[in-house]
Amino acid sequence: MIKLENISFDHCIKCTVCTIYCPVARNTHLFPGPKQSGPDAERLRIKNPELVDASLKYCTNCKRCEIACPSNVKIADIIQDAKWKYTRARLFRPRDFFMSRTDFVGSMATIFGPLVNFVVGLGIVKFFMDLFLSIPLQRSFPSYNTGTFASWFKRKRKGQKKYRSKVTYFHGCYVNYNKRSLGEDLVSVLNAMDIGVEITSEKCCGVPLIANGYLTRARKNARYNIKHLSEQKKNNSGKIVATSSSCAFALKHEYANLLALDNSSIYTDTEYITKYLFDRFEDGIIPPLKPVNIRAAYHAPCHLERLGGVMYTIDILKRIPGLDLVILNSECCGIAGTYGFKKEYYQISQAIGQHLFRLIDRANPEYVITDCETCAMQIEMNTPYQVLHPINVLAMALK
Amino acid sequence: MRYDCLIAGAGLSGLVCGIRCAEMGLRTVIISGGMNALHFSSGSIDLMGYEPSGKAIASPYQYLKKFTPKKPGHPYAKVGLKTIRESLAFFKEQCSAGGLNLYDNGEENHFHITGLGTMKISYFSQESVFNSRLKDAFEKKAPVAVLNFDGFRDYFTDLTLEQLRRLPLLKDVTITTGKIRLPYYFRTERNLHEFRSIDLARVFDSEKFLPRIADEIKKAAGNARIVSLPAFIGIENFSKIHRKLEQMTGLLIYEVPSLPPSILGMRIDQALKNRFADLGGELSAGDKVFGGEIIKGTLDHVHTENYGNTRHSARFYVLATGSFFSGGLKSEFNRIEEPLLKLKISDSPSRNKWYSDSFFDKKGQPFISYGVKTGKTLNPFSADGKEVKNLFCTGSILSGYDPVREGSGGGVAISTGYFAANKIISAVAKGDRG
Repeated sequence: MIKLENISFDHCIKCTVCTIYCPVARNTHLFPGPKQSGPDAERLRIKNPELVDASLKYCTNCKRCEIACPSNVKIADIIQDAKWKYTRARLFRPRDFFMSRTDFVGSMATIFGPLVNFVVGLGIVKFFMDLFLSIPLQRSFPSYNTGTFASWFKRKRKGQKKYRSKVTYFHGCYVNYNKRSLGEDLVSVLNAMDIGVEITSEKCCGVPLIANGYLTRARKNARYNIKHLSEQKKNNSGKIVATSSSCAFALKHEYANLLALDNSSIYTDTEYITKYLFDRFEDGIIPPLKPVNIRAAYHAPCHLERLGGVMYTIDILKRIPGLDLVILNSECCGIAGTYGFKKEYYQISQAIGQHLFRLIDRANPEYVITDCETCAMQIEMNTPYQVLHPINVLAMALK
Repeated sequence: MRYDCLIAGAGLSGLVCGIRCAEMGLRTVIISGGMNALHFSSGSIDLMGYEPSGKAIASPYQYLKKFTPKKPGHPYAKVGLKTIRESLAFFKEQCSAGGLNLYDNGEENHFHITGLGTMKISYFSQESVFNSRLKDAFEKKAPVAVLNFDGFRDYFTDLTLEQLRRLPLLKDVTITTGKIRLPYYFRTERNLHEFRSIDLARVFDSEKFLPRIADEIKKAAGNARIVSLPAFIGIENFSKIHRKLEQMTGLLIYEVPSLPPSILGMRIDQALKNRFADLGGELSAGDKVFGGEIIKGTLDHVHTENYGNTRHSARFYVLATGSFFSGGLKSEFNRIEEPLLKLKISDSPSRNKWYSDSFFDKKGQPFISYGVKTGKTLNPFSADGKEVKNLFCTGSILSGYDPVREGSGGGVAISTGYFAANKIISAVAKGDRG
């Protein structure tokens, strides 16, 4: 039986426009492209699940196919869904297990931040990770903080009460374990606008779990986040913001579309940070900004593009005085979360990114700005430039 | 939101409008849901191709001079001859700044050859499709070879050959067919689906196999002087590659449009989008305008799909959301509507009058000329009948013309987009809110 809600593939008119814009199909012959893997093959899979094709695994879920589709087919959702519905994953997958548990691994690693960074950076360790875990030797890793953002914030919590309005911050794993400074910058930017920050108990948004096929776990996390965020929202009746474009995308769209959960209690009030700031700026709540005097290239991440949020980030950046901004023609960087950390996809991931790296080089910037943490890792590994988050740049302008 | 101009739709019309606004320093945003119809187009631009009788028009401007006074409801009549001329010159200039050179035959129309081997009338063609050297060679009755890549399933040389032989213009011309083999592109056999125009275009773009391809073309062409290829000579480097291939083979090479996705259309799309970005325009591609509110004859704000109740406001708006295929117009069982703002539709007779029983009816299909009703300056009317002064409709959402029968789709899209941009630019300069 075909469930009526699952027939978005039937709106496909076979125009192949999605395949043109698929960064994976462009760079490897192993992936037949979103049209074939998504709507085309879905008909066959419904008829007979045995007809599932192993090439599905090459999809990075970047969602550029959905952006391109003139007929509103949720192509990437169809592929992601099929990937785990019809294929049985091996039970013992230590690499994928640890890679997708960003919160568990992070909470361990932040206890001994510098030590972990040192050990993971050692050539011999990398060699063995390549050998036993199929994590490519050439790949550089994100470094860990000492102490989490959440524990840092505990000390700041009291001071947040004095501000006029409040906002709930979904910091995500990256800020919590890897880049506390981004969270700190956000707090100072919002405080400068007379907005107090609150956080609540949260689990990983689920993006890496979805990508690695741990859907039950992802659903569990999602329910937890929906529950805590909506309770928090009731208390302060404010907005929920995220500084990670993929976390924001998951909270708003993946929970409902892919995990089939009811996120209506947080849907409207959850926003990627630049959209939130944009609205405040429009109301005249703008922090005093000094010229930053830097030249930077802006890269729009795939998930923010899909969220329709790029125009807000650009608007915010354009308001920062002294920022000489080059907006790059939007292209996928290739890392796609945990995809680029896996040996079997590493070459494809690097090939996808080449075009963007060339664009960055041609722009001749001092910094690169992007909203997504894994895009930042990919760009920092492949270009000589330091990557900033739009919030980092705003914080620079405050000082 | 402090945009001067918010455009819904990034098709031919929306992009031309956006480029013009951005060029004049207006803060411009285009919100676009899904890729445009250029991906399904021939990549040539029509101005006015055919009289109602079906007779081809040689001099479109002279024809329009007599035609527009008789048809005051036609978008061309509203825009006026002067603006049409200006807009097309502007379009040619912008394409060339975006890296795409267009051929025109002075102010006359020209023919280009289609994938079926018929002649189609056009105003602009890409230089790799038609140019003056080619025109001379055809006139001198140079022999033609119709080639295809072995294994490319979206184009059939025999079909082209049969049609070409029937053309009076090619009488006494030797026409042959041939196949180019690409043994060097070895991985194709593994996945058959890779032999799409887009895959071939990328092989060309990489320039890897160019000398070998040139050899193969020479072999397959035999004694011909002119070679026809389906359009896949690259998406990014096409003009360089076209030139190189002609030099390497010593032949004249022209491209014919093949099945979608259209490489030729994508080149226009890219040239225009590059241009828009270079001029500082903002393009939001992942979102879609999905409604808005008109208050007392003024469009106050629009909503988008991803941001529910958030209001996006601008001083002026342009609705370039296309026709039925692109979702700019929608047909219910017995009613046609403009789904975003419920604007007034020109005429909406009952369903049985929408279409002609004969698919290729010489008089055309009536529904094609249905669309949004607009005033003299392309402002539409809201559901309560008031003219919305800060909103312009451009391109195929407009009523009063039949792009298929007239051969006027491209020209209307470009000239109305440009016209709306000029109206907005002068209003912003005067400090009007609309």
